[in-house]
Amino acid sequence: MGGIYLDHAATTPVRPEVRNAMAPWLEGEAGNPSSLHAWGRRARAALEEARERLAAALGAAPDEVVFTSGGTEANHLAIVGRALAAPGKRVLVSAVEHRSVLGAAEVAAELGHPTERLPVDTAGCVDLAALETRLRAGPVAVVAVQWVNNELGTVQPVAQVAALAHAYAAVVHTDAIQAIGKVPVDWAAAGVDLLTLSGHKLGAPPGIGALVVRRGVALRPLLRGGAQEFGRRAGTEPLPAAVGLAVAVELAVRERAARTERWRALRQRLEEGLRARVPDVWIHAADASRSPAIVSFSVPEADGLVLALDLEGIAVSAGSACASGSPEPSHVLEAIKLPAERRGSTVRVSFGPDTSEADVDRLLETLPRVLDRLRSWVLR
Amino acid sequence: MNEPRTVLVAMSGGVDSSVAAALLVEQGYRVVGLTMKTFCYAGTPGPTRACCGLEGIQDARRVAQGLGIPHYVVDVEEDFTRDVIDDFVQEYAAGRTPNPCVRCNGFTKFRDLLRRGRAFGAEAIATGHYARIARDPDGRVYLRRAVDAAKDQTYFLWMLPRALLPALLFPLGDLTKAEVRQMAASRGLPTAQKPESQEICFVPDGDYRGFLRQRLGDDHPALAPGPLVTRTGAVVGQHTGFAGYTVGQRRGLGAHGRRLYVLEVRPQSREVVVGEAEELLCRGLVVGELNWHLPPPAEGSWVEVQTRHRAPAVPAQVERISDDELHLRFAQPQRTVAPGQSAAIYREEALLGGGRIRRSV
Repeated sequence: MGGIYLDHAATTPVRPEVRNAMAPWLEGEAGNPSSLHAWGRRARAALEEARERLAAALGAAPDEVVFTSGGTEANHLAIVGRALAAPGKRVLVSAVEHRSVLGAAEVAAELGHPTERLPVDTAGCVDLAALETRLRAGPVAVVAVQWVNNELGTVQPVAQVAALAHAYAAVVHTDAIQAIGKVPVDWAAAGVDLLTLSGHKLGAPPGIGALVVRRGVALRPLLRGGAQEFGRRAGTEPLPAAVGLAVAVELAVRERAARTERWRALRQRLEEGLRARVPDVWIHAADASRSPAIVSFSVPEADGLVLALDLEGIAVSAGSACASGSPEPSHVLEAIKLPAERRGSTVRVSFGPDTSEADVDRLLETLPRVLDRLRSWVLR
Repeated sequence: MNEPRTVLVAMSGGVDSSVAAALLVEQGYRVVGLTMKTFCYAGTPGPTRACCGLEGIQDARRVAQGLGIPHYVVDVEEDFTRDVIDDFVQEYAAGRTPNPCVRCNGFTKFRDLLRRGRAFGAEAIATGHYARIARDPDGRVYLRRAVDAAKDQTYFLWMLPRALLPALLFPLGDLTKAEVRQMAASRGLPTAQKPESQEICFVPDGDYRGFLRQRLGDDHPALAPGPLVTRTGAVVGQHTGFAGYTVGQRRGLGAHGRRLYVLEVRPQSREVVVGEAEELLCRGLVVGELNWHLPPPAEGSWVEVQTRHRAPAVPAQVERISDDELHLRFAQPQRTVAPGQSAAIYREEALLGGGRIRRSV
């Protein structure tokens, strides 16, 4: 019995094109992009080519791209780097940010920056009026509103957030990790100042990401002791991974339109199937603007649903997991005021390039059986 | 070809549950491992709370990986806090001495295991307890003492709901601890050399008074100094908070020129009553919060009662029994046991059930 992987928002397999592009730098010669000799120059050329390709795919300039070790580091560089550059100013983050953004905000708070969470509606969409109230209240170092929510798929009004924040001279960060390749991401049109992306969600290996930094935005580096990445991040550049990231982003952007069409059809099939087979199902953020690749749904009183599906060979996700692997209570589901009896039985399905109708059907066939079992438990 | 039976095994990361899982795999079951996160050890606040650096979880995962079985960690913190920790704190605050492991088995661990097991389509649930499953002539499932008398853990299991017993497997019930260690070593299990855990799991440093102080606050009456008195009312010293004293305890009472024991804790007057060893003896017990796996013993009948882990069960006669209270009279006077402790009731090797000790008489 083969398993079915419906958890591409967690991580994705490395794409062959990515592996091929990385191979020369894994198997061939060494070269530190910062070295002066010929080996160094060749590495430098490859690194800068990767930077250009990545920038071009997003409509950014090459010198706006900072390679990082991944999304978490990029989010920390954005939030903490801004906090360090703007002493005493406040940090505003949406209540549904990824934990790495909330964690970075925690660091900013420990550095003495008052940190506030922006409320969201029941679809997880940030409340612009509340944002404006807070912007008016005093100077802000950075406003962080993700592009696509990783648990719900909700698309945030990033351009509106940026326009509003800029009216109050605040810098705007967006975590676009779940957006690249899923919704149109245009750096120039969005108007944000800082944008995070991550490789392993796009078919690059884990351990690589980037922060795109608009020219002129003051940002203090977190990792110091070298002038790499325009002085924004010390450390020998991860050349093979950076090459892989550039190819992965290019492919994701190029293939987005065609994939979106497929994903929308899969999503519709899944949602219609759920409504037909599972009477008390709620599909979250159903009426909001959403990523086509993510479906979040819940049923009441079926704690452990994700584990039970795993035993049936179906990989889906709950909220986020902590280091123990135990599902943590989701701050996102809490923020959208999902009733407690549904929080333990929320499932996130996320599609990848190869997800098929048969995969969706298998989930739909399995789910009612698993739910019956989960709910038949009675002891006294 | 028959589908193998699925069994869900609780894996704590210790050697016993590791071997239990290994044996079930070898017996041909489809085994799923489950580790329960009962308590948050790192109390760091905030959204990134580093909660789960538990060695036990890592060990259980490594063992499961080696056995090639799926392994999950489930968070039972909320239930555990309500049913075990809160009870633990309240009992001490009321001058009694709780048995958190008994509560955990009765309320948290096995119920959650069964619930998950059913949800996963498992037909049985298993743990690494040293106990045996048996059936009486009428087909009733009950627990029997383990083959290894020194390791027998049936004392901790009297509170298990009876309805749950038919779903249980205890793969270690017929083995000695030495055999289990040897099996772990010969199978190369990474937990083979792990030492026994002795402390209460949510008080890893053993400082339960510090834990109570944290939960109750420094100025709680149970933690405030009060008089040490004798049975005749003479004040012979000061104690440092009655929650730190357990009936039968000898240490921490100061030098009095003779060996003194705690005879009684009186939460209302905040007195701790002390006396000599012979004053500790009692004739019987009153037991409440009863739970029976087999039909309750009739009035006048003889049973054996065990009031501490590893203590021998002693003969006692049922003086009176109702749905919620059991009066036992010992064949020979026994040392008084702290109220709140468990009394497990046996008939020879069979665990009939048990309850919480209300008082000694």
